[in-house]
Amino acid sequence: MHYDTIVIGAGLAGLMAALARAERGERVLLLAKGHGTTHWTSGCIDLLDAGDDPLAAIGRLAAEQPEHPYALAGTVALEQGLERLRAACEAAGYPLAGSPGRNVRLPTALGALRPTCLLPATMVAGEARQLADGRPTLIAGFHELRDFFPPLIAANLRDQGLHAEAAYLGLPPVERSHEFGPMIFARLFERTDFRAAIGEQLATLVRRGGYARVGLPAVLGVRRATEVVRDLQARAGALVFEIPTLPTSVPGVRLFQALHDAFLAAGGRVQLGSFVLRGEGAAATLTVIISEAAAREQRHRALRFVLATGGVAGGGLRADHTGVLQETALGLPVRAPGGPSEWFAPRFLDEAGHPIFRAGIAVDDQLRPLDAAGRVAYHNVAVAGSAIAGCDPIREGCLEGVAIATGWKAGLL
Amino acid sequence: MMQTLETDVLVVGGGATGAGCVRDLAMRGIRAVLVEKGDLTHGTTGRYHGLLHSGGRYVTKDPQSATECAHENVVLRRIMPHCLEDTSGFFVITPWDDPDYGDVFVANCRKTGVPVQEIPVAEALRREPALNPRISRVFEVPDAAADSFLATHSNALSAREHGALILTYHSVVDLLREGDRVVGAVVEDLRSGEHRPIRCAFVLNAAGAWAGKIAAMAGVTVTVIPGKGTMVAMNHRMVNTVINRCKLPADGDILVPIRTVAVIGTTDVHVPDPDVYGIEPDEIQFMLDEGEKLVPGFQHYRALRAWAGVRPLYKDQDVASDRDISRTYKLLDHEQRDGVAGLLSIVGGKWTTYRMMAQEAVDEIARKLGNTTPCRTHEELLPVPPTEAPGHQASATPRLMFWMGKPLADVEREHAYGDLICECELVTKARVQAAIDSGAANLDDVRRDVRMGMGPCQGGWCIYRTAALLFEQKQASGLTNANTNAALLHFLQERWKGLTPVLWGDQLRQARLDELIYVGLMGAHRLREHAEQGGGLVTDHPAVATEYVKA
Repeated sequence: MHYDTIVIGAGLAGLMAALARAERGERVLLLAKGHGTTHWTSGCIDLLDAGDDPLAAIGRLAAEQPEHPYALAGTVALEQGLERLRAACEAAGYPLAGSPGRNVRLPTALGALRPTCLLPATMVAGEARQLADGRPTLIAGFHELRDFFPPLIAANLRDQGLHAEAAYLGLPPVERSHEFGPMIFARLFERTDFRAAIGEQLATLVRRGGYARVGLPAVLGVRRATEVVRDLQARAGALVFEIPTLPTSVPGVRLFQALHDAFLAAGGRVQLGSFVLRGEGAAATLTVIISEAAAREQRHRALRFVLATGGVAGGGLRADHTGVLQETALGLPVRAPGGPSEWFAPRFLDEAGHPIFRAGIAVDDQLRPLDAAGRVAYHNVAVAGSAIAGCDPIREGCLEGVAIATGWKAGLL
Repeated sequence: MMQTLETDVLVVGGGATGAGCVRDLAMRGIRAVLVEKGDLTHGTTGRYHGLLHSGGRYVTKDPQSATECAHENVVLRRIMPHCLEDTSGFFVITPWDDPDYGDVFVANCRKTGVPVQEIPVAEALRREPALNPRISRVFEVPDAAADSFLATHSNALSAREHGALILTYHSVVDLLREGDRVVGAVVEDLRSGEHRPIRCAFVLNAAGAWAGKIAAMAGVTVTVIPGKGTMVAMNHRMVNTVINRCKLPADGDILVPIRTVAVIGTTDVHVPDPDVYGIEPDEIQFMLDEGEKLVPGFQHYRALRAWAGVRPLYKDQDVASDRDISRTYKLLDHEQRDGVAGLLSIVGGKWTTYRMMAQEAVDEIARKLGNTTPCRTHEELLPVPPTEAPGHQASATPRLMFWMGKPLADVEREHAYGDLICECELVTKARVQAAIDSGAANLDDVRRDVRMGMGPCQGGWCIYRTAALLFEQKQASGLTNANTNAALLHFLQERWKGLTPVLWGDQLRQARLDELIYVGLMGAHRLREHAEQGGGLVTDHPAVATEYVKA
């Protein structure tokens, strides 16, 4: 089958690009080794960890760093992409709150407050300014869930001047006897009998403690989270909000599913389990990519390609033991900050991050990959997301924002 | 200044030797106190490759050490089976080695009492298919893999059961001298900063690579050459037998399968100070290259972590290179040697010979004290610490040697899948809680007790979980969230230090995922202002320094 566009990578950037292409009527294949890093992230949309107004800060950043992915993508692509994402989430019954012009702070599973911009409605009641209204908050979890510990969260929130207490809930009788990860809990919460048992415990705690709201691990349903939260609120007699757990992150899974469903509805095709080994082309035009699944090679043809394979975490970039960084799918040249001796800061949590994680593929303002001499390597390839050089999305707090802006832009070109 | 503590013998150093000494003293009814500036095994004992030597490595260059190893190999198998895995060991002649050394090796094994048997190459390759097929001869010896953390804790537990006092995070600030006699020491409790005098009849200096520093406090010179050895843990047991190159000892020529990993070692670099050293990229590359000679494809396995320990090489004469310094040990009676009574140093030696070293030192002290109780450390089985088998009567179960499937079998027997705090190393919640209860002063101590955080993910999941459990368990006794945050930040950095030398491929990806978790999801860096040492923890002190030192 011939495609108009093949998107490599099923993270946020790849999904946005694939959706944009499919909605323009193209035949689109989303080809990926597996799910992207979306499943490991908070499920919130971080735009930039810089002050109260991320959109304004992005404008300034783009002016100061013309090679930053935000500068190359432009704010129009960012804003349009965010709108499309919101609509997809809305359609999935999982609305996102917030505005690109305003950062809010949400509690983490450690009880730190981290800035983000758009957030699922299921997390809204945990926003820091609401927590600071003087009324008490209960943080509740389960001994069986090892990825969320209420006492430490509540104690750290108290240390930051917020009125929070902690409790563990009893696990209602279920068929399972052991191994309760976030996804298992998320499915349990979609059951009415399970919610009834939890709601009852919460109601008692709320009555006794006078809590205005209850923070729970972000495992409140997979596909019906908004409904689950609404139901728990009614049962508990208090607002309920989610706090992301250790991965697997259920809110990340929900984001993936909302975009995945929108892409399928637009006629797109998804093929997971295929690792792209290399590409073939001539005269700076890529014509075929070769993937491998179950030790069998497969050739895929298309008019254009979007490379959204991620950075080091996503698997799009890989270093070997001799200190060479490679782009794993097409073998594009990688722009890296010096040799291995300069890759890492002495401290893990160094404010500036580790130089290696600013490495990536240099692109032009059409997001086309550039070779070492600055010439366009492939005219019909656009690069999106964390594979692009010139930014450390985790440290800069722009992981989702850069993915959406560049992904959407790659879908428009 | 706190009240003076009175004892017969003060043992300095909580490594294998110190713990062995304090056990031996206590078993003979001698009052003893052990002080260690960090956690037990914080020094070299916790940073070696985990090899119970057959002695084969030393048969040519250091025959006395070979004989000692061969003797203790048998003893340790008897007294600490739970700490040992009977891997056996091969000495293999690769195309890079002198083929004539094989006969010399066998002859010297016979001379030194190291059991050895040549086996056909085909049989060796059948047992270890990943071995280089171009090896020309293979000699089998009774090497084994040893858990030096567990062994030291078992010795300490035994010592406590016999009445000894063990003070970790107590640093010797000064030795007390009255005329020509050492009469005790002043130690600093790193948890509280308080100083405490300890008066004793004898100070036994078992500080290993730090022995020179301790002796200097009494005005005595002991020249210990800190010989840095770097090791790399690989994410696979590509072999289940200890593999040695059959040649004179050199760098990167031992591969030890231990628990779920294989450790390649070591280098030997003289460093001026046992507290100041780094790991160089070319050391790592060299060991990957040497590993390739033993197991083709070695460098494509995933390197998990690199670390270095400093050998306590005792130098009492001029030798050409530090590798030529004898690996045997020496008991120094400073009364005879330097005219300073009340102080003995037990220096040099190997992990494998720790018990023999302890026996010799304690024999001498017992003689001086007029104690005639014979040594029993070679006969009496070591106890199993509660961190290994919480909720069990450890002694009720028949004591087997460690085997690779044991942690999984324990989890299955306990139905503890849902309680795994560290999935990589199969560490259950109950074991982490037992480690916290046994007095862990930071999360790195918990790691040494139960191996939490030592697997491929290098703490990605378990650091958060263990920190939170620590808080929940110790909150009632005064541990605050700020103390917990400090412990979490300390351990994140502690793991990072061992990672940077091996960050490429999947391990680099793992490090980025850990960053995504702790910076992105958790916002751990935002809690720096809400982190402080305290609550009985030691997280911010030079003794537990986490700075990565560039050599």
